[in-house]
Amino acid sequence: MTRPVGVWGVGTSHFGRFPDQRVETLAWEAIGEAMTAAGVTADDIDAVFVGTVFGPPGVAIRVLRGTGIGGVPVVTIEAACASGTAAFHEAAQAVASGRYGTVLAFGVEHLSSLFTGAIVPEATDADGAAGLPLPGLYALGAQRYLAVHGATVEQLAQVAVKNKAHGVRNPRAHLGRASSSGAPSLDEVLASKMIAEPLTLLQCCPTTDGAAAAVLGRARAGDVRVLSSALVSGRPWDQRSDEIWGVAPVRRAADEAFSAAGVEAEDVDVLEVHDAFTIGEIVTLEALGLCKPGEGAELAVSGHTALGGRQPVNPSGGLLSRGHPLGATGLAQLAEIVWQLRGVAGDRQVPGARIGLVETLGGAASGMDGNAAVVALLSSDPSS
Amino acid sequence: MTAASAPISKRRAGEALGGLAVADPRPRIVDGRVAGWRCGACGHAVAQESPWCPNCSAGALTPASFGPGGTVWAGTVVHLPVGHWKPPFALASVDLDDGPRVLAHVTETRVLPVGSRVRLVGGTQESGASAGDGNDVFVEPEGSGS
Repeated sequence: MTRPVGVWGVGTSHFGRFPDQRVETLAWEAIGEAMTAAGVTADDIDAVFVGTVFGPPGVAIRVLRGTGIGGVPVVTIEAACASGTAAFHEAAQAVASGRYGTVLAFGVEHLSSLFTGAIVPEATDADGAAGLPLPGLYALGAQRYLAVHGATVEQLAQVAVKNKAHGVRNPRAHLGRASSSGAPSLDEVLASKMIAEPLTLLQCCPTTDGAAAAVLGRARAGDVRVLSSALVSGRPWDQRSDEIWGVAPVRRAADEAFSAAGVEAEDVDVLEVHDAFTIGEIVTLEALGLCKPGEGAELAVSGHTALGGRQPVNPSGGLLSRGHPLGATGLAQLAEIVWQLRGVAGDRQVPGARIGLVETLGGAASGMDGNAAVVALLSSDPSS
Repeated sequence: MTAASAPISKRRAGEALGGLAVADPRPRIVDGRVAGWRCGACGHAVAQESPWCPNCSAGALTPASFGPGGTVWAGTVVHLPVGHWKPPFALASVDLDDGPRVLAHVTETRVLPVGSRVRLVGGTQESGASAGDGNDVFVEPEGSGS
């Protein structure tokens, strides 16, 4: 990047179902924590990038009303599940290019006042109109993966066992603090209600409310650095596509981000990736280059991606445990990686983590291999 | 909520999913075949309406029909209510012979194996406990039905 970009501060709300909260109150929790951590006030903010899918329209400025931030450029980005990560990406690029000095990025979603269950498919979309829900899309991918690679449903379920065990250590996770009995066992994950075969309920992220935020500026001593970030959109996914839906955009973004950062997949100490459904984490790790296609199913089973393993993935609990408030998710992933690289992640700290990765995939416009994907690489201050 | 109750949404859900009407984006079965388009320049087959060939960006698309035979890319059984579809119901992604990949409801409630041979049909077949609205694409496992 042209100018070294630092993450000055991050913050999140709690994650869960909050009928007494509005999008504004959730966002204020996250923005307040991020601004305090960054040591900035409203007057310092030169521009705001906002990630949200279901808004409502006007949510960005309605949030800012209470904060004293006003008059500066405010841009709202919708990139499905990657909306918050795309807002972060734009903020980082704006600082790198010198367009803005100090930039606030936040993401927010209040899904529990929109949907009683799973997200209702979009009627203007061909597959949505045909009745394909998001877990169904991932289930089709999972069935293909199982058939092509000879993977097992136990391997899929192990991803949920791992991430929910991580989430128990995260006091802000939607399903973390509620799990008084601890994380579910493999048998409990497999025996939970079937949602879309082979994916059971505990292999699907919950419908969650929440917000997350970050303040970015030129890197100062001690700041977590943004080594690179890449944002890509989807390309056609059709009869010529051998890979399951959603893999190719992640690989395109990863190739660009790793190349720009000058690091390799094996160099990464800790990752937050898009595990909306268990199969998602498996194929994402393959696309990121942690292993070859077909080998991703073994990474949770072997312990490689568990806390204590060689490359812990989703120490926050991931979308499966923290929850998936669409527009907030990418910035919540960023917050976790920043806390990890600062060494302040508490019970879920990856010891000595110096390089971290954030990945989010947005979908699912039918006929495209994704709506958007973002991959970002970050490091602790190399001089510290 | 109970398993069979329709999900509530503030989103534009469409008439088939309990909301207001929107122009139907689904591929259709016409005269027993999937009605789509083929590029006059590169030959690419598409099932969804497009302004020009999305593969080569150069060719004009002309109407074409595909199938009804095809091969299952992947199948699943959905155990959630989606619009008027009551769970469980089966879906499959099917690569039509020399044609596009399309999503279809399966007339039997089971996971169709990857690579199995199928035939696409229209009409108001049943998928699980629900029937289509006349504009759905259905898939029959080869050797079943008429």
